[in-house]
Amino acid sequence: MNESTNKVLPGLPGSAAKMRPDVSPTVSATASPATSLRSPAAVSLASRLLMVSVLLLLLIAPFVLPQALVNAAIQMLIAALFATAFNVLAGQGGMLSFGHAAYFGIGAFATLHAMNALGGAGLLPTPLLPIFGALGGCLLGLVAGWFSTQRSGVYFSMITLALAELLHALAPHLTSVFGGEAGVSSMRMPAWGLSFGEPMHVYYLTLAWVLASLGALFFFTRTPLGRLTLGLRENAMRLKFLGYDVHAARVMVFMISASFAGVAGGLLAMNNEAGNYVLFDVRLSSEVVLNAYIGGTGVFFGPALGAAVMTFFGYAVSDLTRSWLLYQGLIFVVVMMFMPNGLSGVVLWWQRSQRSSAVLARYAAGWSLGALACAAAVVFSVELLQRVLGSDYQSQLVDAQPWPAITLFGRDWLPGAVSTWLLPLLLLVAGGLILNRVTRAWDALNEEEAA
Amino acid sequence: MEFFTVSLINGTIYGLLLFMVSAGLTLIFGMMGVLNFAHTSFYMVGAYLAYTLQTFIGFWPAVIIAPLIVGLLGVVVERWFLRRVHRYGHAHELLLTFGLSFIIAEIIKLFFGNYPVNYQVPASLSFAAFRLFGTDYPFYRLMMGLVSLLMFGLIYLLLSRTRIGIVVRSAIYRPAMAETLGHNVPLVFMGVFGVGAALAGLAGAIAGAFYTTNPNMALELGVLVFVVVVIGGLGSLEGAMLSSILIGLISSFAVGVDVSLADALDYVGAGQWARDLGGLMTLKVSSLAATIPFALMLLVLLVRPSGLMGEKE
Repeated sequence: MNESTNKVLPGLPGSAAKMRPDVSPTVSATASPATSLRSPAAVSLASRLLMVSVLLLLLIAPFVLPQALVNAAIQMLIAALFATAFNVLAGQGGMLSFGHAAYFGIGAFATLHAMNALGGAGLLPTPLLPIFGALGGCLLGLVAGWFSTQRSGVYFSMITLALAELLHALAPHLTSVFGGEAGVSSMRMPAWGLSFGEPMHVYYLTLAWVLASLGALFFFTRTPLGRLTLGLRENAMRLKFLGYDVHAARVMVFMISASFAGVAGGLLAMNNEAGNYVLFDVRLSSEVVLNAYIGGTGVFFGPALGAAVMTFFGYAVSDLTRSWLLYQGLIFVVVMMFMPNGLSGVVLWWQRSQRSSAVLARYAAGWSLGALACAAAVVFSVELLQRVLGSDYQSQLVDAQPWPAITLFGRDWLPGAVSTWLLPLLLLVAGGLILNRVTRAWDALNEEEAA
Repeated sequence: MEFFTVSLINGTIYGLLLFMVSAGLTLIFGMMGVLNFAHTSFYMVGAYLAYTLQTFIGFWPAVIIAPLIVGLLGVVVERWFLRRVHRYGHAHELLLTFGLSFIIAEIIKLFFGNYPVNYQVPASLSFAAFRLFGTDYPFYRLMMGLVSLLMFGLIYLLLSRTRIGIVVRSAIYRPAMAETLGHNVPLVFMGVFGVGAALAGLAGAIAGAFYTTNPNMALELGVLVFVVVVIGGLGSLEGAMLSSILIGLISSFAVGVDVSLADALDYVGAGQWARDLGGLMTLKVSSLAATIPFALMLLVLLVRPSGLMGEKE
């Protein structure tokens, strides 16, 4: 998958490079792709194999997964499409939007209204209805894009945020369109001999739409406008001198991004058969930013990867912890600080490095070990704190009595004891030392090379 | 007349409060080019810290100490977080502060729960300043306005009349040149970031007692403060003052106006048509109050992109 994307996006962190042309950090400072030890043909074969296996996994997933996981898989697919659509604007076009929930939400409402109006009959049966999501997103994207792309950089982000907030504040009052508190609900009507009552039907419907959309978005990166998008990010002034209408190009990119965000919203609407104005909430806008940047905006499939991973984690741990949002924020900040190109940046780093896989694996293992120790310390402290400070526990306390033990990870812990808090502290120190050592060794290795 | 006077005073004081938070934000932006998403989180932390501290050391000491701690937090954020990602560009810094605001809100929820805490104006300060149209006007409201005005005066004098002010302004205007002349620009950045955070913390400590203190207060105020800063012109202190009061007045007047677009169209005889149309036409201005600042911001950005008093674009 990366042989092709390398060409599309040469490892530059999108928006950063646009707002600040003098800094252009690459993923790996040691080597360019041309001098890599791994030959392009081998990388291409490996990435194709990976792609085919992921596709196969997605196709057989509903037969092997329990029903709850099928639902989680649907959410992952939708989040992946949303993040990829967002990335067309943010990563490729260098326009950081903080209000993408607006287009997602509009897509959802457009699809719901279409479901109610058409009833799954006629020329547009149920499986085709997310097209209205695209239409809704596209139209709103045209208006919002025309306004917001008048400016660039921070101002662009602020306008998208303001537009989304405008819609969010307005939506509860426009009951005829957005249904007020209760929202709009609908039913998936049977079509093409499928009932769409089972999760499996919905899964394949979502999968088909997501794959088709991702394919279309990937194709877009190869079109002249797709190439121009990268130019908008890198140097819009130069495009202007070359005679392009920069504003028109920006609006078009905005519309494409908004349309596919609308498809994602439409798929969510089909899945839930309902929606209300909460869809416009700023939380959804921020989630897509988090997902896309955790995955890495420099690679086409990066945001999809980030969204799928984060949605899966969110699903997996939301039953176990009440602090998932905190972990999400922590992961985002750690990624921003130490892996500026996201998860997919790590893959690029590996591919482009001149060193042998064994050396890379050794260092990667060292970093992972240190990070795991730190993560364990943080998770332990947060979970213990959350239980200690929870109202259930606080109400059990008796004055002048020692605080009772808390069962966590299969053991009892006394919140008042020093030894309890020594454990995360030790883990944190150990993890920090490991990270420090590995990083130093890595730097020394590179310096040796340079000298 | 009563509505007008009360709205005028309330709006001005709310505007002054907005100014306390947006002053730091606009200074930080003007200097470092970073739009700090975590800025209203500092406001929230200030409120929660003051709430916690006041049970131990009393209201006034808490209001003084909480902003100092928040200022330290700001220094930490600048020195160990922002400076680290500076080389990746402004978008990256923006995203980092965005992530930090997320974390701060969640940590607050972890410690204080996801509901408002009972942070109240101390009894010694909750008396009426004067009577207005038969109702008591709280003294605390006036005090908030005075603190903000005092702060504006102090910052203004500091920036325009002292040697530190000259260095800070030159670091804002031409950071590279100021550095060449031997000034420690990173230190100035850190200082302004800390002071800006402390100001937001002070606003939180004072306003948290009057308005509600809950984990969503950062987000609620945050978007409004961005609007203020953009309308006033990013980097301009006077602009922030002007637009804060403007937004304060608009928010306070709009909630009391019981007129819709259709009523306005009555004057040209199209009222009934508009009422039949429904939707946006029949919405009362009062229910649109939350949207007016955003609409105003869009207008300003399109007509005068650098803001009312801004110079930079």
